[in-house]
Amino acid sequence: MEKSNPQPIFSVSDFIAVVNQTFEYAYPNIEVEGEVASFKVNQGKFVFFDIKDSGGSIGCFMTVWQLRVPIEDGMKVIVSTVPKLTNWGKFSLTVKSVRPSGEGAIKKSFELLKMKLDNEGLFAPERKRQLPTIPSHVAVISSIQAAGYADFIKIIDDRWGGMKVDVANVQVQGIVASDQIIRAIEYFNQQELLPEVIIIIRGGGSADDLSVFNDELLVRSIAGSRIPTLVGIGHETDIGLADLVADVRAATPSNAAQILVPDKKEIIKSIHFQISSLLPRIIQMINKYSQTNIDYLDNIIGKITIKIDQHNMYISNLRNILSQLNPDQILARGYAMVRGIIKVNSIIEIETNKAIIKAEVKNVFNK
Amino acid sequence: MSSTNKSIQEKTVELTKLVAWFDSDDFELENALDKYKSAEKLAEEIEKDLLSFKNEIQIVKQKFDNKS
Repeated sequence: MEKSNPQPIFSVSDFIAVVNQTFEYAYPNIEVEGEVASFKVNQGKFVFFDIKDSGGSIGCFMTVWQLRVPIEDGMKVIVSTVPKLTNWGKFSLTVKSVRPSGEGAIKKSFELLKMKLDNEGLFAPERKRQLPTIPSHVAVISSIQAAGYADFIKIIDDRWGGMKVDVANVQVQGIVASDQIIRAIEYFNQQELLPEVIIIIRGGGSADDLSVFNDELLVRSIAGSRIPTLVGIGHETDIGLADLVADVRAATPSNAAQILVPDKKEIIKSIHFQISSLLPRIIQMINKYSQTNIDYLDNIIGKITIKIDQHNMYISNLRNILSQLNPDQILARGYAMVRGIIKVNSIIEIETNKAIIKAEVKNVFNK
Repeated sequence: MSSTNKSIQEKTVELTKLVAWFDSDDFELENALDKYKSAEKLAEEIEKDLLSFKNEIQIVKQKFDNKS
């Protein structure tokens, strides 16, 4: 009697498939931390590297599009991965994402990406667009549970009104945050009625939390937005790549609100000041016109006075001439007037300054 | 652009023009008082609008956790 065999017999391909199914079931998503070694990119598409520690080393594979942060040999990273047995029987990790681990690696990765994007001109000042002075429709990308979002909304409500604010509720930390923010940017850029500004905000956090905003694809998405961007991430001293690529960078979410809209209280104060300055201006103009009229009148009076003086002078001169011709004036100078017929024995009248004399003519001589 | 904000902007532009008229060569004392009254009325309207308008905040329904 033939004995049945309880152990299944696999083909090689089936066995590899079963092993991979087991891996997927047992380790659907694991994270492995280690140091990068033998990093290389083949054909500009495929990324190969080993991840190792003092006790071992595993080969890793991923596509270049999945590599969102620059890495290099010696850098400590955490890979999110699925273990896989290849058709050639080699065990490797198929990496879904990789992120630097530890302060040194995060900083190194940040500097490498910053240099790369800077060389492409993504941070150039000439790329920066101005935000509208008073926007009426804006889009906010943030987590609505975040304190930074609450601060932002409170301040825009305090400062301005009548604005349409569309909010995309996304995660702002963790492995999925970058992709969610990218999708939100795409969503707003595809709207029929485009918002005038996209504001991306998040409160403060650890360097690891804020590393979401140093993701290469997110930075490129912000750079490619048709809508001008305002980014307010973390605290004043945190400057990430998203800040550098944004059209306008705010130090904090609260600062983003201050940049976005004017303060209505300041505007009301300014309007009051403008109106209060108008009446004094009218009075100033009235005074100016009055002074001009006074000046005209003074000028006219001055000219009339000169004419009168000229006439007075003329009359005075005439009066002097007349005075010189007055007979009394001549008599006063010692002359005398003689009346009557000048002949011998006739009686004539002589008038001097002080007397009228009757006299008889004794002789008449021709001169 | 929402109609409320547009209205505020229009009124603000109009007020700015009115105020600028007082400093311009077009200034005429005969019209100054009427212009002043118009500016004062506009300022009151702008202040009233600014204090009464509220922002309309809407959370978009679209989910961003997966590619749609």
